[in-house]
Amino acid sequence: MTFRVLDPSSEVDTAQGQRAPRLASLEGKTIGFISNGKEGTKGFFGHLDRMLRQDFGAADVVLRVKSNYSAPADDPIVAELPRWDAVISGIGD
Amino acid sequence: MQLTSKVHEASDIAAVQELYHSRGWTDGLPIVPPTAEAVEACLEWAMLPPEQLIGVEPVRERAVTAEKLAINAVMAGCLPMHFPVVVAAVTAMLQPEFLLHGATASTGGCAVLLVLNGPIRLELATDPTFNVLGASDRATMAIGRALRLVLINVLDVRPGGIDRSTLGHPGKISYCLAEDEDDSNWLSLAETRDIPKEISAVTVMTAGAPRQIMNEWTTEPKEILETFAAEIRANMRHYSIWPGNYAILVPKQLREHLDNAGWSKRDVAEFIFERARIHRHEWAEVGKGAVVRDRGDTVYPAMESPDQLLVIAAGGPAGGFGAVIPPWLGHKSHAVTMAIGACLDCGPPPA
Repeated sequence: MTFRVLDPSSEVDTAQGQRAPRLASLEGKTIGFISNGKEGTKGFFGHLDRMLRQDFGAADVVLRVKSNYSAPADDPIVAELPRWDAVISGIGD
Repeated sequence: MQLTSKVHEASDIAAVQELYHSRGWTDGLPIVPPTAEAVEACLEWAMLPPEQLIGVEPVRERAVTAEKLAINAVMAGCLPMHFPVVVAAVTAMLQPEFLLHGATASTGGCAVLLVLNGPIRLELATDPTFNVLGASDRATMAIGRALRLVLINVLDVRPGGIDRSTLGHPGKISYCLAEDEDDSNWLSLAETRDIPKEISAVTVMTAGAPRQIMNEWTTEPKEILETFAAEIRANMRHYSIWPGNYAILVPKQLREHLDNAGWSKRDVAEFIFERARIHRHEWAEVGKGAVVRDRGDTVYPAMESPDQLLVIAAGGPAGGFGAVIPPWLGHKSHAVTMAIGACLDCGPPPA
């Protein structure tokens, strides 16, 4: 007996974002951090901030912290994205 | 009825199982083949067209239709009469305050707890007594499993993918129970959350594993409830300090002592609200001194108000046991109660 059975998946093609062009250098760039605010992020992003400025010549490093670490970034943070040259989003669990 | 899901063919029942397992469409257990006939029977019972939009998962903007819910419900072993509960539960889970994406993706590894109230408990022959947190009856097992299959297949919540749970817990297979309304003088959980008694309802909560307590050496309500409060305090010390929807299950034996003393659910919630709180400095006693800092004297309550405690009458008739079910991320994810097949705040149709 042949079974004809239905597909239980969403059958939706997940929209694939395109990778932004890679930066040739971080020299003089503004780098944004989106932190989930968990305890482990403080040391991690603090260290990364120093690295980017001292070792890679970043002009500015901007830290933004989500209001809810289990939800997407708040709208005001997302609105800032175009002003940054690159973004680092860390879990920091 | 026009179903639009892709149709797959398999030569026999074993081939169906292998097909679904190989595609990552199961929870590891065998499934009931979701034929068009079985799926249509669910949709007809709930009077839903296949394309009916049940909701949209707000983070990934994934639409959830009645047809996809029905397919997964059939796979889980649901009968058509179970399906309206699945629809109501998923609708509730898609409310923003439930924080579904966070709950299903979190390393915290919570499950979705479902509690059934109202006439549907009897219509579905649920058993809220013996082994209520285990495999107590067909309906609650199948409905709870259906939710997990929906998460797996419709929202791609698979371990190591969207699901980043460090441990998870057995409730992630099925975590559904009915409340013992017929052997209790208390208001039902749904009634305490503004659903009339004659309306069937489901409450969903992002929930950790149950923590069992025992106190069969007293009939004094405050002593009984102190044991529940202590278990909540233990969870706050060992797991998470954040307040939110804790649930407690009170089986018959302890419930009778409370009832004999005239304690209502509200009395229970107010007592536990006062007793279930810890100082931050207590974290130092359980190896978490590094995060006490200068806030050691700050007091953290387990709930922001007594209303956040979900008091549930359920469990077998004998034994001085009870259970505390802690929230996943209590201050961010809130329990949602939804009427089944009824709209309580709908106005009359326009003239």
